Amino acid sequence: MSAHRTRAVATLAVGLLALTACSTGGSSAGGTDTPSGEPTATAEPVPGGTFRIGTNGQEPTCLDPHGNASTLGPILTVPFSDSLVWQEEDGTLSPWLAESWDVSADGLVYTFHLRDDVTFTDGAVFDAEALKINFEHMLDPATKSPLSASYIAPYASSRVVDPLTLEVTLSSPYSAFLNVLAQGFLGVISPKQITEAPETICEAPIGSGPFILTAWNKGRSVEYTKNPDYAWGPGGTHDGPAYLDGLEVVFVTEDATRYNALVSGELDAIEFVPPQNYDAVAANPDLTTFTEFRPGHPLSLWFNTSRAPFDDVRVRQALIAAVDREAIVKSISFGQWDAAEGYLTPSTPDYIEDVEGDLGYDPERADELLDEAGWTDRDPEGFRTKDGRRLTAYLPTTNAVPLRIQIAEQTQAAAKEVGIDIQIQYPAPQELEQRSAAGDYDISSGLWSTNTADVLWIRYSSANITTPERRGLNGSYLRDDELDTLLQDARETTDADERHDLYRQAQERLVELAPGIPFYSDPRPVAHHTDVHGLTYAHGYLSPYFYDVWVEQ
Amino acid sequence: MSSAATVVAPGATLPGAPGLPGLPDPAGAVGAPGARTAGATPRSAVGAVARRLGVRVLGAVGVLWGAATLTFLALVLIPGDIAYAIVGGPDSNPSPEVLAQVRTEYGLDRPVWQQYGSYLLRVATGDLGTSYRFHAPVGQLVAEQLGSTVVLAVSAAVVAVVGALVAALATAGRRPAVRGPVSGVELVLASLPSFWLGIVLLTVFSFTLGWFPSIGGDGWRGLVLPTLTLALPIGAVLSQVARSAIEEVLDEPFVVTARARGLSDAAVRVRHVLRHTLVPLTTMTGFVVGGLFGGAVITETLFNRAGLGRLLLSAVNSKDMPVVLGLVLLSAAVYVVVNLVVDALYPLIDPRLRSAS
Repeated sequence: MSAHRTRAVATLAVGLLALTACSTGGSSAGGTDTPSGEPTATAEPVPGGTFRIGTNGQEPTCLDPHGNASTLGPILTVPFSDSLVWQEEDGTLSPWLAESWDVSADGLVYTFHLRDDVTFTDGAVFDAEALKINFEHMLDPATKSPLSASYIAPYASSRVVDPLTLEVTLSSPYSAFLNVLAQGFLGVISPKQITEAPETICEAPIGSGPFILTAWNKGRSVEYTKNPDYAWGPGGTHDGPAYLDGLEVVFVTEDATRYNALVSGELDAIEFVPPQNYDAVAANPDLTTFTEFRPGHPLSLWFNTSRAPFDDVRVRQALIAAVDREAIVKSISFGQWDAAEGYLTPSTPDYIEDVEGDLGYDPERADELLDEAGWTDRDPEGFRTKDGRRLTAYLPTTNAVPLRIQIAEQTQAAAKEVGIDIQIQYPAPQELEQRSAAGDYDISSGLWSTNTADVLWIRYSSANITTPERRGLNGSYLRDDELDTLLQDARETTDADERHDLYRQAQERLVELAPGIPFYSDPRPVAHHTDVHGLTYAHGYLSPYFYDVWVEQ
Repeated sequence: MSSAATVVAPGATLPGAPGLPGLPDPAGAVGAPGARTAGATPRSAVGAVARRLGVRVLGAVGVLWGAATLTFLALVLIPGDIAYAIVGGPDSNPSPEVLAQVRTEYGLDRPVWQQYGSYLLRVATGDLGTSYRFHAPVGQLVAEQLGSTVVLAVSAAVVAVVGALVAALATAGRRPAVRGPVSGVELVLASLPSFWLGIVLLTVFSFTLGWFPSIGGDGWRGLVLPTLTLALPIGAVLSQVARSAIEEVLDEPFVVTARARGLSDAAVRVRHVLRHTLVPLTTMTGFVVGGLFGGAVITETLFNRAGLGRLLLSAVNSKDMPVVLGLVLLSAAVYVVVNLVVDALYPLIDPRLRSAS
């Protein structure tokens, strides 16, 4: 043992040296791909095989599409659960389980005409009744839906017109209704399971998708097999069952492990490619990579506008001007990402590229604004004061996400340059949650991913400020009548042009109100071996999509 | 439980192993009183053991109750809205109806003492309840994950104990040039954070050399690195304890007697000295079990293994009270059983302890 130990330590030392000396050393370790496996665009798909993809460690605790709100929800549920509508890459909505739909002039009644050839993998038939049962399941408090229920909150009732026609009535017009229906969180599951065995849905949900969920190895992975009867993929995909015999989505918490498991061939693909490995992936002839950015709200630091110092819009504008967002985003992403230009990410429908107003880096303007706001004195440490009180802002955040820590620290450094004292705090998750609920902070951080500009209503309407009765997501406590009206009107209009214009005005108003510092659009980068073909995204909620995937044998 | 069995296993076989010529000697040479009273011990020893066991069983129930109560209090006193955490926390956007449903369904709207009382009643009838977040019975969740953790814990315990004994036997009482470096390596291993140790093992043996899979995988190859990550720090401590015990024994007169009879150094160590290290090693069992449980949380996360450690981590973060309480009760029960077994084993391992009790 002693000799063995000594040798082991020597090997460790040598291994570490080798690793630092040769950063691509890992690619020689057991790769299964040969350079001859060059992809050819015209290659004929080969059925068969099991495809393994590694994702991050944010494993949901329930695999009912309606019963989770996790970032990893749709990558796990879309394989077995189809949706009414499909979102194309350019954001347009096309038929899927619904062949077509009509919307009444007042925006209150949606009539869905359904496909007649769809069955669930437990034999149940997809029809108007099945769809109605799904809507009711989402809204049933017993489902404890953390997301889908809120996304269809305006749903009032539905009526089965005939077996293949469902008429849905809303309590108020809701322009985002069809968009959210394209998200995996609102996918359709077996009405038989909902009515006969609802307690089994979290663990072993049954849908009509191209794959059948066969095993959930908690803490490790979810496994699927092919649904041999599948013949109702969305437009633009192939006909018939999935090419793959099997699919496994593996939860890999550690970034380095996920990347190395791809390089070594233990995994066919990974998503959430760590930014530090982008260059190595690009340089590796065995690997291909692609990326898109999640629609919705960029990752941001939000100001609490309900209390000093950020109840003064000039202080908010000053801190935005004090921060070189482009430099910070480049530094945390190893030069890979761009700074956000506004309060929507560019991949969101109704995103306005040329928003009036200024979120640019301008420390001189920051100083002017702070002087204007009355923070003119300085204390011995160089921080601004007013009436003897220092300009201090508390930023409680999680210490579990390195990117957020880096953003907080670099913002703190930039703020100090103009005399603002940002105090970063790392409370326990439970305490952080409590302070967040109580509004006990000056700056908070987060993002929200959804495929509609209605995210602005979710994040900034005064209707979504947390009250004793209701948890809301307006963490900046923004309360602006003009913005409220714009967002509510955009929600209720049935005219696409009008909606677009209302969201333009809302985005411009937000720049004036300066409720936060938008940093970057959250990417969902994918990398895979070159013998993998057909891997794309489901765009309803941006996540890898496996129906067309095939692997060279 | 598993680890107790493996810790004890070498001890249980060695003293009774038939046909080992050296075995009767130590007892005869050292334990003269033990040998003389051996014929009279069974009845009184059994009685004493039974009395002690009775007291310990009562104590064990107290320990379980205390563990459940403290955990319950801790979870209640942690700030934050339990219903919101159950639904998904900041990732979610629950409607007021959903939060109300969660509060009613799980009784979170009742006074704390009522929640506590009904929890104790349920546990007393053997019902650990239903997970808030997985919507599945706690017993089922634990059963699903138990096997993976037991396999890891048993293999780590075996590696730690065998490795420690081999290292200690080979180096105890040797000249500083041999003993010093090994002891130094043990000190380093014992004080390394397991997370870092695991990263280093992964980097070298998986990422660089490619000998073992990095994301667990099935079969023995996926078990090697997690086992080493868990076993090395524990084995290092055990080895230090065993070495000092062996060095004490090496000075005993019976060792001189054995050597005088012409036994080789290896034979003296393996046949005569080894069993004397069993008592201190058995005493360390509690430490081993604790190390295995604590280490499992980190090892399972790092190596992407299913298991109780990951279950516990996710349950604590999401305030999944029934799961946390179930796992605390399970680990308290394991401790209690291990300690009971160890107590009962002392007299069997060392005849001198029979008369002493």
